[in-house]
Amino acid sequence: MAAAPQAVSAPPSAATPNPSKRKTRPKGKGSKNKAKKKKLARSEQDDSVRRQRNKPSAKFLKLLRKRARDYNSDDDEEEEEQEHPPSPRRRRRDDDGEDDDDEALSHSDQEEDEEEEGVSTSAVTRFEQGCRAFRVAFLKIMNKKLPDDPLGPILSAHKKLVAAKLAEEAEERKPKGEARKEKRVAAEKGHVIPKDHLDSKEKELIKVATKGVVRLFNAVSKAQKPRKDLNPSRTKDAKVLAKERKNTFLAELEMPSHQDKKSQAPSNFSKRTGKDEHEPAWAPLRDTYMLGSKLKDWDKMKDSAAEMQAEVPLGDSSDEE
Amino acid sequence: MRHPRSGPGKKRGRGPRIPATTLRKQKAALANVDQITGAKIPKSFVFSRGKLPSTLRHLQQDLRKVMLPYTALNLKEKKRNNLKDFINVAGPLGVTHFLILSNPKSLPHLRFAKSPQGPTFTFQIEEYALAADIANSQKRPRCPPGIFKNSPLVVLSGFSGLGNPFESLVEYFQHMVPAVDPSTVQLAACQRILLLKYDKDKEVIDFRHYSIKLQPVGVSRKIRKLVQNNQVPDLRDFKDVSDYVTKRAGYGSESEADDEAATVSLPSDVDKLNQASRKSAVRLQEIGPRMTMRLVKVEAGLCSGDVLYPWPVAKGAVGKKGKVTEEEIEGQEETEDGSEDEMEE
Repeated sequence: MAAAPQAVSAPPSAATPNPSKRKTRPKGKGSKNKAKKKKLARSEQDDSVRRQRNKPSAKFLKLLRKRARDYNSDDDEEEEEQEHPPSPRRRRRDDDGEDDDDEALSHSDQEEDEEEEGVSTSAVTRFEQGCRAFRVAFLKIMNKKLPDDPLGPILSAHKKLVAAKLAEEAEERKPKGEARKEKRVAAEKGHVIPKDHLDSKEKELIKVATKGVVRLFNAVSKAQKPRKDLNPSRTKDAKVLAKERKNTFLAELEMPSHQDKKSQAPSNFSKRTGKDEHEPAWAPLRDTYMLGSKLKDWDKMKDSAAEMQAEVPLGDSSDEE
Repeated sequence: MRHPRSGPGKKRGRGPRIPATTLRKQKAALANVDQITGAKIPKSFVFSRGKLPSTLRHLQQDLRKVMLPYTALNLKEKKRNNLKDFINVAGPLGVTHFLILSNPKSLPHLRFAKSPQGPTFTFQIEEYALAADIANSQKRPRCPPGIFKNSPLVVLSGFSGLGNPFESLVEYFQHMVPAVDPSTVQLAACQRILLLKYDKDKEVIDFRHYSIKLQPVGVSRKIRKLVQNNQVPDLRDFKDVSDYVTKRAGYGSESEADDEAATVSLPSDVDKLNQASRKSAVRLQEIGPRMTMRLVKVEAGLCSGDVLYPWPVAKGAVGKKGKVTEEEIEGQEETEDGSEDEMEE
């Protein structure tokens, strides 16, 4: 608003009201009033060109400052700030022109200014036009719908480069991914996850295993039961017991293994019991304790030096412990 | 009266005091010689040669569990350990059997070897399933922790009447676990079973690992649960205890028909449910890994020595090699006999 009275005050001194000329007041040199007369004389074409120039000259700025100093108004501090500016500040405000308040202000100011004469009008006009231009450009950008490009908003020339690079990387990753997949498959080779527990084959196997266990348990029960009848501490009974035990074993275990060739589990026991029947039951009392059956008659053996050497180290190592 | 152990002089910073009974039991487990039978307790190492993929590592851990308690569960091997290192360590520790997993050319192989000079049986594992897979496929997986305190029983089947390498294989497997003395063994100690069945059609060996459960026959489910759980059942709806006991008691499970063949009469009390002179059924449930193996190679030494099993090329193969093969065959027969003698301990 201050610009208006100022503009009013200044130009009338310079020239009589001439609205058209006032609008097209050029920027340019001449900050003094006399200079303004010269400016008025300039053609309108120059003005339109000059209007597009954004940068106000130094002399012009000085004039503005002077006017601001002279002007004394309580209302229009905003105008002062606007008029005061050095050029960078003005440009800054042009950038801020997107701010609605400033826009409104500048618009209203400029509209009024346009009616007035003066250099400041042109400055304000330029400001206003800059703001408007910026506003248009900004809205255009914001309203633009970006293509859904995975690469993002990048300059077109660079886009091709980036696209090429990404394609390269994807290609590199493919054989690596395949190699990894192959490796994983190879690692799992042979690993079969059982789908259904207890299909017929498994049932067969369980039956076989159960038979073995049952046989063992029966043998054990036969071995351990008759003890109750006889008293094991009496030597006579002990001998009877031992004989009975071994007999039942041999009967229980070795016979079925001849007839029914399915299970050989108990042959483990037959080995133990099939040894010399005169051996005592407690291990350390036997002659072959920790020596193995081969060395039982070691004093009678002649040419088994190699085997003895093989056996004795084993025996020694366990003795040392 | 001060307890002699609690005096200040006895404290050596050993940490929590282990009672004497536990110490004795620990020592017994580590002992080399079985107290009763007097035979050496066979101990084993399960390890791997070369890099193994993760599922095979799980299989290795499962195999270690199978061989418990006479194996090193947390055996740590380094890359730079050779077979020789293991042999050297095995001597003082009393380890007699090696189970070696390897993965040459992406085919898992398992080698059973006897230390220090024993024969080596190389199997190719055609199919395997981990213990975790089996537990996942079961409705009620059962693996009480106490079952690994005793060695498993080994049951071999289908091996009768086969040729030579299989007979030594049978011997090997029988010696892999400590012998069971039937007159003294406690039935409560037999809780696991290892089944090795030879399939003649496919020429593969099935490896299965089961846990044994004894179930009293003729006892209805409710009563069994009552004894097991030790909890008072909910008798709200019943007017009389007899209702609770006899209701729905008539129907047994369909598997009880199979149990007829599997009943044993126990010599002594196994636990609260299975008492002496009562009939109990033997029920097996699968735990542990499942493998299908094919015998590929038998060597006379520990991963070295003459190759016994895949019979060398016949005489008519190539002219030059003819003589060599003849000599080889003769040599092998001799060493075979030698190795069999060693194994008969």
